[in-house]
Amino acid sequence: MFDGLVIAVQLVLLVAGCVFFAMGSLGLFRFPDTLTRIHALTKADNLGLGFIVVALLPLAPSFAAGFKTLLIWVVALAASATSAHLVARAVRGNTVGGSRTEDDDG
Amino acid sequence: MQPAPASPIATFAARAVMLAVVWLMLTLGDPSAWGFGAVVIALVAALSVLLFPPSIHRLRPLGLVQFLTYFLGHSLIAGIDVARRLLTPSLPIRPGEITLSLRLPEGGPRWLLANTLSLMPGTLSVHLEENQLTVHCLDTSDAIEPGVRQAEFQVARAFGITLDPPEGVRA
Repeated sequence: MFDGLVIAVQLVLLVAGCVFFAMGSLGLFRFPDTLTRIHALTKADNLGLGFIVVALLPLAPSFAAGFKTLLIWVVALAASATSAHLVARAVRGNTVGGSRTEDDDG
Repeated sequence: MQPAPASPIATFAARAVMLAVVWLMLTLGDPSAWGFGAVVIALVAALSVLLFPPSIHRLRPLGLVQFLTYFLGHSLIAGIDVARRLLTPSLPIRPGEITLSLRLPEGGPRWLLANTLSLMPGTLSVHLEENQLTVHCLDTSDAIEPGVRQAEFQVARAFGITLDPPEGVRA
């Protein structure tokens, strides 16, 4: 009975996670430029991964394994926020007329 | 009141303990991983102290919990907000940028705010220079600044910082 409830909740969370990942990808097609697309990717994928991680927690064989799963989400969040910022900064540097130039030889 | 930064030794020890916990999770407590882990933890902790010297801003446990609650709640709003806009046939977005003066001190607090804002509803940190943060907004007709100020307040509380009066707020 209780197991059935847990599985039902996991199922809902997994589906919700996949839906949000799909939203992030839909954003790539529907949004008009790079910056708005980053909005969709970072926010929707962050939530999608979060749902999937929470859904998988009851399956973790040990406490440490559960934390390891959570750690994946935390690291993915940090990477997503950082890369979003770097892409946004690069895009803006190009379109605003190069107020900042990259320090390479080109 | 300006607290002094922790000594490098104490910072090294604290970061080593944190890394050890992460290593424990990664290896699921496998004892055979500890030899290699000890070397890596010592090297990484030493490198981190060299690259990021001890700061006067330290996270407070209670403030951090409050920040995480805020962060999770707003992550949910952010994802649903983007999904709602994407699924509306007319695609209701009005992209634009605003620049704000941050009241947070430089270093960790500003960095945390910039990264947090990229995951919050409707905002994306584009450029941070001195205390000027440029934010790209998905919809400029939304109330962007109150949201940023709220995130700023949450970050300040996580670090136990009292913010100056809001001189940067434009009515």
